Amino acid sequence: MNKRSKKPQLLISWRFTLVAVVVFSVFMALVVRTAYIQVWAPERLVHEGDLRSVRTMSNFVERGVITDRNGRELAVSVPVRAIYADPKRVHEQNGLDKLEAWHALADVLETDSEKLLNKVKDPKRRFVYLKRQVSPAIAGYIEKLKIPGVYLKAESRRFYPTGEVSAHLVGFTNIDGAGQEGVEQSYNHWLSAEAGKRQVRKDRAGRVIEDLDVLSKSKDSNDIVLSIDQRLQAIAYKELKKAVADNQATAGSVVVIDIQTGEVLAMANSPSFNPNDRKQFKGFLFRNRAITDAFEPGSVFKPFTVLTALEKGVVDDETMLNTSPGYMNIGGRRVRDSRNYGTIDLTTVIQKSSNVATSQLALKVGVNSMIDTFYRLGFGNDAGLGLVGESAGQVPQRSRWSDFELATLSFGYGVMATPLQIAHAYATVGSAGFAKPISILKVDKAEKGKQVFNSQNTKALLEMMESVTLEGGTGRKAAVEGYRIAGKTGTSRKAIRGGYGDDYVAIFAGVAPLTNPRLAIVVTVDEPQGDTYYGGSVSGPVFSKVMEAGLHFLNVAPDADVKQWVQLEELADARS
Amino acid sequence: MNKQQQQSIWWRLHIDWPLLLGLVVLCGVGSFILYSASGESMAMLNRQLVRVFFAFVVMFVMAQISPDVYARWALPLFLVGLIMLVMVLVFGHVGKGAQRWLDLGVVRFQPSEIMKVAVPLMVASYISKHSLPPKFTVLLVGAAIAIAPTLLIARQPDLGTSLLVAASGIFVLFLAGMSWALVAAAAAAIAALLPVLWYFFMHDYQRQRVLTLLNPERDPLNTGYHIIQSKISIGSGGLSGKGWLQGTQSQLDFLPERHTDFIFAVFAEEFGYIGVILLLALYLYIIARGLLIAIQAQTAFGRLIAGSLTLTFFVYVFVNIGMVSGLLPVVGVPLPLISYGGTSIVTLMAGFGVLMSVHTHKRLYAQ
Repeated sequence: MNKRSKKPQLLISWRFTLVAVVVFSVFMALVVRTAYIQVWAPERLVHEGDLRSVRTMSNFVERGVITDRNGRELAVSVPVRAIYADPKRVHEQNGLDKLEAWHALADVLETDSEKLLNKVKDPKRRFVYLKRQVSPAIAGYIEKLKIPGVYLKAESRRFYPTGEVSAHLVGFTNIDGAGQEGVEQSYNHWLSAEAGKRQVRKDRAGRVIEDLDVLSKSKDSNDIVLSIDQRLQAIAYKELKKAVADNQATAGSVVVIDIQTGEVLAMANSPSFNPNDRKQFKGFLFRNRAITDAFEPGSVFKPFTVLTALEKGVVDDETMLNTSPGYMNIGGRRVRDSRNYGTIDLTTVIQKSSNVATSQLALKVGVNSMIDTFYRLGFGNDAGLGLVGESAGQVPQRSRWSDFELATLSFGYGVMATPLQIAHAYATVGSAGFAKPISILKVDKAEKGKQVFNSQNTKALLEMMESVTLEGGTGRKAAVEGYRIAGKTGTSRKAIRGGYGDDYVAIFAGVAPLTNPRLAIVVTVDEPQGDTYYGGSVSGPVFSKVMEAGLHFLNVAPDADVKQWVQLEELADARS
Repeated sequence: MNKQQQQSIWWRLHIDWPLLLGLVVLCGVGSFILYSASGESMAMLNRQLVRVFFAFVVMFVMAQISPDVYARWALPLFLVGLIMLVMVLVFGHVGKGAQRWLDLGVVRFQPSEIMKVAVPLMVASYISKHSLPPKFTVLLVGAAIAIAPTLLIARQPDLGTSLLVAASGIFVLFLAGMSWALVAAAAAAIAALLPVLWYFFMHDYQRQRVLTLLNPERDPLNTGYHIIQSKISIGSGGLSGKGWLQGTQSQLDFLPERHTDFIFAVFAEEFGYIGVILLLALYLYIIARGLLIAIQAQTAFGRLIAGSLTLTFFVYVFVNIGMVSGLLPVVGVPLPLISYGGTSIVTLMAGFGVLMSVHTHKRLYAQ
């Protein structure tokens, strides 16, 4: 190499040193920069990263099923879809350009496309329901429309297969699946499931990549098995509806209690409603009158007055009461019978429903004994089914009682009770004086209950009450062929402002079979407008039909003609 | 003795084994990252491995050719490249909003890639024909040689490549001994040109990128998205990383262009700061080896071309990592030898072939 290139070479080496220094410094800058991002300040960036990928998800859960005691479904959840939109996405992805699709959507949702477009007008909104509880078929169609920003999500819709028959009892839920009435409301917590929340990592397309954490465990829903026998419920509702219609009555209720277990086998009201058709919902239809409506029960309370007298020992089955001349003056007021029954025994008192006789008994035992009996029978407290809206009725509490007030108490005025409470009281009498808790849920093991009356007295009372459905009684239409019935009619005037009006509640309450009571049934028909308004003729036939059906379903042996049974046995003996 | 012998085998093959070692390790690491960044796509990895293999073959072939041949063929190569660039502008293939591709029936390729090698070769061969340090007029012609293709590439528009091509030419001028006064003047001229560039030559999206660099949060959903996501990916890697294939930001598709320009963010998230340091060290090793080859070069042409190619490689690394870590605006420069994509790997390896040629042919001269 010559001399000329020696100097430049030095120069170039120097430049290379500079280059090396620059390269090294730049690398150090990168080292420092990444150190800053990764070591000094990663928390914020990690947090930002999580913000982009960590999401909280909840799983889909379904409400429990309500069935009757035999497993028939009364309330079920069916899968449906909710259509919702994310207006922001709709606008971002130019979803509004697909006007055809929006028209199709409006068509299938049976709404105006203008209304629909109005809902997604605001590009700042992130969520709006377009339609809820859409059937799977329609949902599938909407999915195919592929409108940007319109999505579907799973939800469930409550369906009530038995419709109006058990509508009051089962109740219904609102659109979000929360119970609003009946068992659906009362046992809402038990029935409803809570969706569990878990933390997941999602990718940009929204797919779940990783399960991170369980934030809250899901609570499974529970099913409910009611004590109701839907077959009996259906008959009770059908007969009641017919009676209410035939008598142009405003309303009516039936309650059937299994005396052995305390289970409510049927509880029907009329008028009813179709829980599957929300369009026809009216507030007054929802009331489960059998538990919410307390009224003055009237004559169906007379057996309790007789029972109190038996318990107190002031009468026995041979006691005769003089009811002449068919009325009685007490403290300036008058208690009447419908006619003069003369001197009668206790059986006739109940059979003829003598106000005069029961007034005499009440005056003999005193007010405290009467009130005590009412409490023992469960009046003044709610029946304890745990249903929302259960009325406790009313047992009056006052320090001073006039004799007239005491007398009216003896035939069921001045005291308020619901049909359910009356049925419960009859069940207590029917179970030989044992007060059992009643239940709307199926009972596996029946409680024996607490004895509140002497068995001899209740049996004697039932024998007396049999006369009501026999020749000469007020409730012959309540009779059931083949069975001995112990019952009582009641036709109580309805209290209106300032006294009593012309409207009645026609009641029949009773138990059967008499020799070993199994069912206690109360039928009330409110404000019958027909020619007859007596409990025996209006409510009696309903009682008869329901009782007959109930005894058959329960396979209860007839006890009306025990002699016939004996004869058959004798015949068998003779043959052999 | 044995080592000497082994070395002589490498010499005869015209391979610089320390440089080869660095490149092989880098490509190996790159394959692992690409597998992860591609969402564990074996097909993508296979395609890339084929390209890498082809690139190594190109490097080997280039290494066999004597630097003299390069000096002689610099002008024709440069002219062919220039014609192709014009052709691209006239009837090139449009992809991703830019006209960069030339469809030759069998292959589609970017003529701008040729320029990454052709420009430094041309400038170096021109300058080295004159006395060093070069006179002002020589420098001016050299600068013109570099700037012509740069402008053509910038028109495509491909800011990243035009930057690299310009740099490769300017590095030659600088290494050739441009006077400090001129360096200062050129720097001042560039500074003065920046506003002109900003208002008259840059596309809207390019301006956006610069603005976004200064404050990525000003538009986090559009232009800022790349930088924010990329910083999040790098940051969430922390000191030791999330592990290979475990990076959430990158694997979950939050990171855009994760297997190409932003692959560094995938690497940083999965291997952490420790991995980043090792990767930077590997790059530094390759660059250091390249600079050593340049210093040890016996001819001016060899020294200039080796220095320029090495520095271009360095600019690649710096611009890409600087961009991904939010130091520089987003310009489409891949992470050399790691990002998915064929052309840049082949040109880079061709450059390393030239480097090896410069290094391994000198003793033959001596003999």
